[in-house]
Amino acid sequence: MSLHLLLVEDDATYAHGLAADLIGLGHRVEHVFDGRLALAAIDREQYDAVILDRMMPRLDGLSVVEMLRASGITVPIVMLTALSMASDKVDGLEAGADDYVVKPVDPHELIARVQAVIRGRRWTASESDTIRAGDIVVSPISFRAWRAGQPITLANLELKLLAELARHAGEVLTRAMLIERVWGYDFEPETNIVDVYIRRLRMKLTEQGGADPIETVRGIGYSLKP
Amino acid sequence: MIGAAIRRLSLRGLTVGVLALFLIATVATGISILTANRVTVARAVDRRIAVVADLVLERDAGETRLPTPLLLTRIAALSGQRDTGDIGLLLLGADNQRLGGNIAPRFTLPMGWSDLRRRDGIIGLSHGRALVRDAGEGRRLAVVAETEPFDSYRAARTRIYLIGFGSIILIVIGGVVAFSMLVGRRIGDQRATVEAIIAGDIRHRVPVSGSDDEFDRQAAAFNRMLDRIAELMEAMRGQSNDIAHDLRTPLSRLRGQLAHMVADARDPVQAERASAALAQCDALLAMFAALLRIAEIETRQRQAGFARFDLSTLVRDTASMMIPVAEDAGRRLGVDVNIVVPDFTGDRQLLTQALVNLIGNAIKYGGDTITVSLDASEEGVSLHVVDNGPGIAPEDRSQALRRFGRLDTAREAAGGHGLGLPLVEAIARLHRGRLTLGDAAPGLGVSLILPRR
Repeated sequence: MSLHLLLVEDDATYAHGLAADLIGLGHRVEHVFDGRLALAAIDREQYDAVILDRMMPRLDGLSVVEMLRASGITVPIVMLTALSMASDKVDGLEAGADDYVVKPVDPHELIARVQAVIRGRRWTASESDTIRAGDIVVSPISFRAWRAGQPITLANLELKLLAELARHAGEVLTRAMLIERVWGYDFEPETNIVDVYIRRLRMKLTEQGGADPIETVRGIGYSLKP
Repeated sequence: MIGAAIRRLSLRGLTVGVLALFLIATVATGISILTANRVTVARAVDRRIAVVADLVLERDAGETRLPTPLLLTRIAALSGQRDTGDIGLLLLGADNQRLGGNIAPRFTLPMGWSDLRRRDGIIGLSHGRALVRDAGEGRRLAVVAETEPFDSYRAARTRIYLIGFGSIILIVIGGVVAFSMLVGRRIGDQRATVEAIIAGDIRHRVPVSGSDDEFDRQAAAFNRMLDRIAELMEAMRGQSNDIAHDLRTPLSRLRGQLAHMVADARDPVQAERASAALAQCDALLAMFAALLRIAEIETRQRQAGFARFDLSTLVRDTASMMIPVAEDAGRRLGVDVNIVVPDFTGDRQLLTQALVNLIGNAIKYGGDTITVSLDASEEGVSLHVVDNGPGIAPEDRSQALRRFGRLDTAREAAGGHGLGLPLVEAIARLHRGRLTLGDAAPGLGVSLILPRR
C-alpha cells in the first residue's frame, strides 16, 4: 500500500535522507521545514499520515498537533523526535499524536508504525472478538489459540504476542513495537527477549505440522502471514 | 555556650522547661506571700496582746502590789471597751483557780507566748495567740487574741490564693501550649512542603497565612528559594533537551547516511566496513539513550508518577518472563519469591527495567545458574540476582557501578555500553534504596535494597 506522507522536519540533511528512504520504500513524500508550512500543507492537501518533528523553529511540533486536533483534523500523526523522556512521550500523546518515535528510526520501522496507526484507525472490532490470520485463530479474551482447528497451548505472553501479530497480519511489527505493545515496557531491553519468544511461538505453531506462519523481516521485525 | 545549649533545646523541651520554671516561681511567690501575711498578722496581734497585758498589770509609782479586785476591775473595763472587747482575759490564782475574766480555756495555758487552736476550747476562737504573764503572788494573767479578722478567714484566704494564682497558671499554660502548637504547625507546614518536594512534586509551596509575621516571611523566603530551584531545574531540563536534540539529530543523520552506504555498497569489503560503522553508530545511540534515561531518572520527575503495586508479583512475573531467554542462552534461571509485598510504592516500569537488566547481565556474564529472589530485610525488601559465574573481584566492584566503568576481560568482549549497572543504581536511588555487589562464592550476587513506605 503506497502512502501519501507529509514529513515535517527542520534538519535538511536528515529530512532528505529519510524522505529518500521512504520514497525508496514506495511511498509519496512531501517535505516541509516547519510547523507553519505544515499547517498550510495539511490545509491544502489530503495526507494518509503526517510524520512530525517536535523541536522546530517558528511553530514546534507539539503546538502543530494541538492546533490540528483543536480544529478537528484527525489525520494520523506520528511524532518523530529527539526527546526521549517518558514525560515527553506523554506530552506528545496527550497533545493528540497517534504514536511517538524517538530519532533515529529505521525507515522500515517508521513505515510499520505509520501503517499500524492507519490500520488502528480502521480497526473497529472490539477486543472480545477472535482474530483470524490464515489458518490461525486467536481469542485474547478466552486466552486460547487454534491452528487449522487444532488447539495450541500457549503461555500468557506468547498468546499476547500471537494476538498482536494476528491483529496486524501482513504488516511488519518491529521489536520495539512488540516490546511496547505486548510486554508493555517503556524501555528497550538489551536482551533478545522478542526473538526468544518468537522462536518459542514458532515452535508451538509448527509442532503439529504446517509451514512456519511467522516471517522474519531481516533487521526490522516480524510479520504473520495473512 | 548558652547559645549552643539553647540551640540544642527542642520546642517541646523549651515549652516544658519554661512552664516548669513558671510553676515553681508562682508557687514560691504564693507561699512567700502567705507566710509574710501570717507572720505580719501574728506580730501585730502579739503587739496588741502585749499592750493589753501591760494595761492590766500597770503599777502606779510607789505601788508595790496589785490587789486582785483592782485587776478584775481593769479586766472588766477592758472587756467593755470597743477596741479591746475582742481580747480574751483570764486571771488565775496561785492554786490555778479561776479568779475572773471572760474566757475559760479547756487546758492550762503555758507561761509566755503560745499559739491557740480551736481545740483549746475558747468560744469563738479558731486561730489565735496567747500570752501568760506572772501577775505576782502566784497569780497569772492570760491574754488571748484571734489572728483571724473574721470567721473562716483561712479558708477564704486559701480560696483567694487558689483562684488568683490558679487563673494566672492556667492562662500561662494555655498561652504557652497554644504558642507551641502554633509554632509546631507552621513548622509542620514547611516540613510537609519539603517532604512533598523530596517525593518529586517541585510545585508544592509552603502556605502563607497573610499575617506577614516571622513565619510568613520565612515561608515567603522559602517559597522564593523553591521558585528559583524550579527555574534552575527547568533550565537544566531545557539544556538536556537541547543536548538530546543537538546530538541526536546529527547522529540520526549519520545513521541514515551509513544505512544508505550499506545498502548502496557495490563490493563486499565496502559493505562490511559500512555495516561495522553502522553498528558502532547504533552502539553510540544506545549509550546516549541510556545516559538520557539515567538523566531522566535523576531529575526525579518520575517520582510524581509513583504508584502502588504488588512488588512480589512484578518480580515473579518479570523473572519468569526471562526464564526462556535464559534457557535460550543455556542458563538455568530459578525464581524464589519468599514474601508478599502487595503495597509497594514506586515506578513499575523502572523496577521492571532494573530486574530485566540485572538478569540480562547475569545471562551475559554469569555462570550457568541464576537465581532471582525477593526477601524481607531490615531496611525493607531485598531483590537478589545471584549467578555462579566468575563474579567481580571486590576491588573492581565500585568500578562496575561507575558510569562507563566497564570492566575489561570478559565483560569488555561481550560488548555493552557500561551503563547497565549505573542505570539500575539510579533506579534504586530514585526509590531511596541502594544497589550492592557481593560475592556469591562463587559468582556475583547483586542486591537491590528498597525501603518500603
